[in-house]
Amino acid sequence: MSESEGDTVAGRSAGESDLAVHLDGITKRFSDVVANDDVDLRVERGSVHALLGENGAGKTTLMNVLYGLYEPDEGRVVVDGRERGFDRPRDAIDAGIGMIHQHFMLVDTMTVAENVALGNEPRKWFGLAVDRARIDREIRDLCDRYGFSVDPDARIGDVSVGVRQRVEIIKALYRGADVLILDEPTAVLTPQEVEDLYDVLAELTAQGKTIIFITHKLGEATHAADAITVLRDGESVGTVDPEGTSRAELAELMVGREVLLEAETEPVETGETVLSVADLSVIDDRDVPVVSGIDLDVRAGEVVGIAGVDGNGQAELVEAVAGLRTPDAGTVRFSGRDVTDWSRRKRIESGMAYVPEDRQERGLVMPFDLVENAVLGSQRGPAFAGDGRIDWAAVRDHAEDVVGTYDVRPATTDSEAADLSGGNQQKFVVGRELERDPDLLVATHPTRGVDVGSTEFVHDRLLELRREGVATLLVSSNLEEVRSLSDRLAVIYEGEFVDVVDPDAVTEEELGLLMAGEHPEGTTESETEPPVGGEGGDER
Amino acid sequence: MRDRIEGLIGRLVRASIVERVAIAAAALVAAVVVGGVLVFVSGGFASCASGLDLAGWTFCYNPMQVYYELFLGALGHPLEGGWHVHNFSLATTLRETTLLAFAGLSVAVAFRAGLFNIGTQGQLVVGGLLTAVTVLFAARFVPGGAVGTLVLVPLGVLAGAVGGGFYGAIPGALKAYGGANEVITTIMLNFVAVGVTSTLLSWRFQDPESANPQTRAVPEYAEIPTIPVIGYSPRLDFSLLALGFAVALMVGLAWMLARTSFGYELRVSGVQPEAARYGGVAEKRMTVASMTLSGALGGIAGAFWVLMQHGRWLENVPSLGFDGIAVSILAGNNPLGVGAAAFLFGVLSSGGRSINTATDVPPELVGVVSGLIILFVAMPEFFRMIGRQFLDVDEEPGRGTGGGADE
Repeated sequence: MSESEGDTVAGRSAGESDLAVHLDGITKRFSDVVANDDVDLRVERGSVHALLGENGAGKTTLMNVLYGLYEPDEGRVVVDGRERGFDRPRDAIDAGIGMIHQHFMLVDTMTVAENVALGNEPRKWFGLAVDRARIDREIRDLCDRYGFSVDPDARIGDVSVGVRQRVEIIKALYRGADVLILDEPTAVLTPQEVEDLYDVLAELTAQGKTIIFITHKLGEATHAADAITVLRDGESVGTVDPEGTSRAELAELMVGREVLLEAETEPVETGETVLSVADLSVIDDRDVPVVSGIDLDVRAGEVVGIAGVDGNGQAELVEAVAGLRTPDAGTVRFSGRDVTDWSRRKRIESGMAYVPEDRQERGLVMPFDLVENAVLGSQRGPAFAGDGRIDWAAVRDHAEDVVGTYDVRPATTDSEAADLSGGNQQKFVVGRELERDPDLLVATHPTRGVDVGSTEFVHDRLLELRREGVATLLVSSNLEEVRSLSDRLAVIYEGEFVDVVDPDAVTEEELGLLMAGEHPEGTTESETEPPVGGEGGDER
Repeated sequence: MRDRIEGLIGRLVRASIVERVAIAAAALVAAVVVGGVLVFVSGGFASCASGLDLAGWTFCYNPMQVYYELFLGALGHPLEGGWHVHNFSLATTLRETTLLAFAGLSVAVAFRAGLFNIGTQGQLVVGGLLTAVTVLFAARFVPGGAVGTLVLVPLGVLAGAVGGGFYGAIPGALKAYGGANEVITTIMLNFVAVGVTSTLLSWRFQDPESANPQTRAVPEYAEIPTIPVIGYSPRLDFSLLALGFAVALMVGLAWMLARTSFGYELRVSGVQPEAARYGGVAEKRMTVASMTLSGALGGIAGAFWVLMQHGRWLENVPSLGFDGIAVSILAGNNPLGVGAAAFLFGVLSSGGRSINTATDVPPELVGVVSGLIILFVAMPEFFRMIGRQFLDVDEEPGRGTGGGADE
């Protein structure tokens, strides 16, 4: 796919007057790093425009320029045919641009209506009181117009993530947005909610609104967008029509080389049970049971996936296995030993590797450089610190290995973890943990925020470990990932396994229903023993 | 505006060592200028026999003279004739430097572990008393002379470290196992320390021959020995050996933090407790251990205060522990920086006395002048520390801003 082809699509959609947003030659530098290099973006009015790219390609930076969070070093921002310079989000909002961030900016204890109007409350009695009736009326009008079913009086804390996202969209519409920017909107949604979101986007564009959505997922871009602009290394490598472009071509545009989209699993002889969780229950800090009586076995050479919507107990389950959380009942056995009462350190030293969910809180020490981060978890182990002193030369070699092997950029061990982009931070954590030579790997969202090219590499490494007989417990909200890598797939809902399924036999719809806690017809209820055993699952 | 402030703090947080030293030097110059103006103007409101007459006003104080006394007076006026390195002012400066170095290290170690130990003062009080009592007790069984020195001095320092360490372990354990905020508990324990030691003093350890609340004096051979010929006279209450020990501790602690597993775990706990837990650090034990170490250093400060300066424990303990907080902040909680920061405090303290004897400038104004210097020099480091806490990781420049892409 060359740039000229890309231009033809953009050229066809032509006329400046049809463009809701035109970013012309935007360049944005952070000290000596160029985050956006002469990027053009032409978004037609009434269309869904996907901004596709790997981590650190500059997607969010570009949108932050449009939303007035950053001032571009060069280039023009043209909205509705008029050149604008936004100094702050307020200006962008006033010009009809709304942004829905990855992390919702809602107050849990307030109602939908209060959240929507927050900061823009209509007043009555000479500004002395909030006109609640008017807020309610306006929200109902918006809901009617775009076909949302949202109760304005519901508390945000009580509604689902999908509804919260809808509230964010209503909030932007309420402020008069004509152009909506959605930053990775599907990341937190179940498959059903994603479908609903697509419907909402279609309804919005039908009524003349313009949508820009940021994503690094090919499927979303091709499915929902009318046009796709691909960013790579801060440059725009072209705008394409999703109709005439295959996913492989898109992936190649994004990464700059050919990419294998599906991980190739091959049958592996499974060995002894490495991890055995029995009747495990966890009660969280608010005294709410979050994991209830879970049984789980993982054998050597087996990948067991856990699928579920975030917040259904998978995080707590994994923490209990990894030794960061004390279970309230049940046992965890590792390589035949009862490790329920073992400290985190003892578990690490006995061969448990753990890719944590939150790399910035846990996986990395943000103000430390990569050398110092490479020893986290091994700081008392024999490999680097036999006698209480850390052998920094050996640690540096190890860090350089990880950085080189896992393609961490920039390729230097001297940069602080905080200076790396999210995807590169993740690559470093995954690399450090995978190179621990573990017997058991517990990985939560191992490729979260990692770009296509590196995801492919991480998947290959996971499968390599599987061949070497490592037992893997994999939690991911990316269904494609858990399905393609797992030998068995357990679906968790409200702290319990709804079912254990064969990832190759189950359809995405069935999986979605299971994740929502519903048991579709025809699937057999099964407890600890899955319908497809460890060995059976390997025959593909 | 907000962006600009964040930008400035961001620059400060990322400043290199050389930049930080340059910033500190510039801050010192700025403080001298501001303080000088203040002194000069204040002189216009004072009455004196002779001063500088300007436009009908008489300015009594000469800022140049004030700073001359402050900086060079602290060293014993090296530019004047008859200067000798073994002078009283320099000995005072170095004695303060030594004691503040111990106190500063105490605060710094806790800071690096993410704990705000306000209790160095209390640990110093308890450690000091235990030093005095132990040495007085042990002296009965130990022969005098060189043997006595060799036994009693290490024993006394050890007793101080144990006492202070124990007293630091209390808030550590309260935090680790009870979730009690160490700032609150250490502040309260400072009062407890004063009350308990004073009660113990009147109960058993009061020097019967004195009306002052103090213990009996330890034997002369149990005081920190001075090096013959090149060392300072014992009358000056300062020993180069003590300063050497302080420097050794600074280097040792810096080495420990950088090179050992314990030091690594301590630093990780300090900057990111969750990451420490993830990395297998036993967080509760680490909290107790670092508070114990911090308390032991505070206790050592108390031991040297007893064995070097007074030869006995006095109920009226100077606020070395509190000054240690300022020393540590000024040093950016770096053990090696603590030496330089302690020396600055030593100079200000000793130089202040020199101003009082040489000029008519009132001690309050001298306090303001030294306070300005501390304030100016410490503030950039202080903002660095605070800035690290508040600057979001997302604010870091680079592509990361875009690629964060958390799903």
